[in-house]
Amino acid sequence: MQIEEKLSLLNYKTDKGYEHITVKPDICAVCPDHFCTFACPASCYTLIEGKLNFKYEDCVECGTCFFACSHGSVAWSNPKGGHGVKYKYG
Amino acid sequence: MSEFDAIVVGAGPAGSSSAIKLASSGLSVLLVERADPPGSKNVSGGILWGNELAKVIPDWEKNAPLERFVVSKGTGLLTDDSLISIDFRSKKLENNKTGYSVLRAKFDQFLANKAKASGATLVTGVTVDKVAFKDRKVIGVEQEGDVISSDVVILAEGANPRVAIDSGLREPIGDRDVAIGIKEVIRLPETTINERFNLRGSQGYAGEYVLGFLKDGVKAGGFLYTNKETISIGAVINAADLRANNSTYSYNIMEQFVTHPFIAPYLEGGKVEEYSAHLVCEGGIKSVPRLSGDGYMIAGDSASLGFSNGLVIQGMNYAITSGIAAAEAAIEAKTKGNFSAASLHSYDEKLALNYVLEDMKNFKGIEGVTWSSLMHKAVPRIAEKVFFDMFYETGEPKRHLSEILLESIAGSGMSKSQLILEAYRAARRM
Amino acid sequence: MIILMKQVPDAEEIFIDPVKFTLNRSQARGIINPSDENALEAALKIKDSEGGEITVISMGPPQAENAILECMGRGADRGILITDRVFAAADTYATSLTIAAAVKKVGDFDIIFAGESTTDSGTGHVGPGVAEFLGIDQVTYTVSSRIEAGMLIAERELEDGIEVVSTKPPVLVTVLINANLPRRSRLRLKIDAIKKGVEKWDHDSLNLPPEWVGIKGSPTLVGALKIPEERKRESRPIKLDEIPVLVQDLVKKGIIRTGDEA
Repeated sequence: MQIEEKLSLLNYKTDKGYEHITVKPDICAVCPDHFCTFACPASCYTLIEGKLNFKYEDCVECGTCFFACSHGSVAWSNPKGGHGVKYKYG
Repeated sequence: MSEFDAIVVGAGPAGSSSAIKLASSGLSVLLVERADPPGSKNVSGGILWGNELAKVIPDWEKNAPLERFVVSKGTGLLTDDSLISIDFRSKKLENNKTGYSVLRAKFDQFLANKAKASGATLVTGVTVDKVAFKDRKVIGVEQEGDVISSDVVILAEGANPRVAIDSGLREPIGDRDVAIGIKEVIRLPETTINERFNLRGSQGYAGEYVLGFLKDGVKAGGFLYTNKETISIGAVINAADLRANNSTYSYNIMEQFVTHPFIAPYLEGGKVEEYSAHLVCEGGIKSVPRLSGDGYMIAGDSASLGFSNGLVIQGMNYAITSGIAAAEAAIEAKTKGNFSAASLHSYDEKLALNYVLEDMKNFKGIEGVTWSSLMHKAVPRIAEKVFFDMFYETGEPKRHLSEILLESIAGSGMSKSQLILEAYRAARRM
Repeated sequence: MIILMKQVPDAEEIFIDPVKFTLNRSQARGIINPSDENALEAALKIKDSEGGEITVISMGPPQAENAILECMGRGADRGILITDRVFAAADTYATSLTIAAAVKKVGDFDIIFAGESTTDSGTGHVGPGVAEFLGIDQVTYTVSSRIEAGMLIAERELEDGIEVVSTKPPVLVTVLINANLPRRSRLRLKIDAIKKGVEKWDHDSLNLPPEWVGIKGSPTLVGALKIPEERKRESRPIKLDEIPVLVQDLVKKGIIRTGDEA
């Protein structure tokens, strides 16, 4: 099963007005490892033609990317107002 | 005069247990949870022993949404081609408490509702930004610029404790403190689960695995727990090794586990209903931050109070125990009218007295064993070779086990002296 | 101002039973009906600029209290839950009538905001129905609204474009899901809301004849629920000079007609 298919099973209440994780493109552009792309369990970080692409909508709020990035690019905060992933089982 | 006696941040096992204890002792409590409903952002990767839960919910075994009672424990080593496992089943496990499998969306909601019923003010769907300070003392919490005041704040945010970190009350989490947990919940008929794991009624199986098939230094453990009509299966990945490898996707490790030739048959025909990920505390005692200070305490995963020795994973149980201990410390502080660091230090003392810090100190350095190359590479390879040579019929006369063992060690990629040293270290720590 | 709000099962968590063809809502948790969030936001915007009080009215089971508290956490001042077993299984007619009675009981109101439709039934009847029972004007499908010199100015998003309507309250306004970005609740307001509590109104407090409410007062019958069969779509690549042949083909199959025939 592909990761995209697994993520499609999840219920998200996406906050269109607030991105709870942001990255600094300047830092990502010169990043030597892009470990975030391997570490993130929800494949929110991908390389498209060598350029880092980040989408917060699929985030499952585990916090991995915050410590995975050792270059200070990832700013992490919790989603607000009950937004974000809503597990049915957990 | 504070608005509340206590504010508890996070309605998981630690926070809700704490709030129940506080509220039922007559303190005014605000329990704030960012998920709505509570539990919908939480993931279990362990077994609930729940012994301590009886302190706050005496009838929990009757009324809590529990899945199955574990009567069968498995430990397995997985290589590319083999599964070497020991299953422990015993009538003694049925009489003694091993614990229950739980699904946290339901279980945590039950706990939060108990806190509400005990008199706590339960607010869900609101994210606390940070704790509020005055003269370097914690005096409440801050949200969207509003300060809600309390005599004491108990932070029970889970393994990714943003409020504690952003308020400077603990160090940010690093590779050595946590592992990356990934889990799937797979639906299967109850009867199928019972047949596949040789269970009856509400009996359950809990298995832990070493994913010895992983390549290039990547290390992960696996777990498989039976629920009533689902199976919880997950991988717990060592972050430092994944970083060193830097070419393996965490989610592919999970996929490799569930499609392993001797794991897949357990799940066959099942429908994946949920995919989830969560950090798992793995750092041991050295990751535990300062547990209390002026006007605050940190409980559960937020305080890195988690533990795993490879056979037993402790998270929820420590969370409940520490949550209750924090509540007891707050109740004493209220009686004394003193919420200073010195007064709240009784929380640290309580944890030192009960099994939480005791376990963590006894198993100090265990994370070095559970994540060692010995455990993840050498042992699975040696075991595979030993069993293969023992059972594979060649028509030749059988060899002695010691002979096979020596040969297997030679092929394990570790030198004999290295192996002896590692094994000695492991045995001492386990 | 009054907000009509319904707690609905989260549409993301409803699935269709593949055997019985019925909607399985047992796994679905309650949320505020999405366009009702927009209705509340529309009212809160007016409250921000003009002041005023907002009362949220909802009809449903006792659990719907949570959704009302959430509205109060965002800035609504008062919450009323119409809840009684005799109201159960009401269709849109009986629901509109019951809610209209509650609005009358609240009494003093100028603008009523409601979501355009609910995700669990999608009729869009209740807002306009309430307006009819109250005998007041209604402005539907709005994407914005403001007060100017005592008049409500609203923009209606229609198929042909935006229609700007000016009307004098009392008026009922239904709000589309793309109208605004609903704000988040605040801890301070939620604590206040819990302290204040939600008023529960039952059948007795509305004083309606029993045959007007619930299933007895509901003329609608649901015949059946079916999943339409998915029709297979055909496609094939064509070259530009094949277009005349393709057109003839489509005419032959009766998929399109030429101007000559019409």
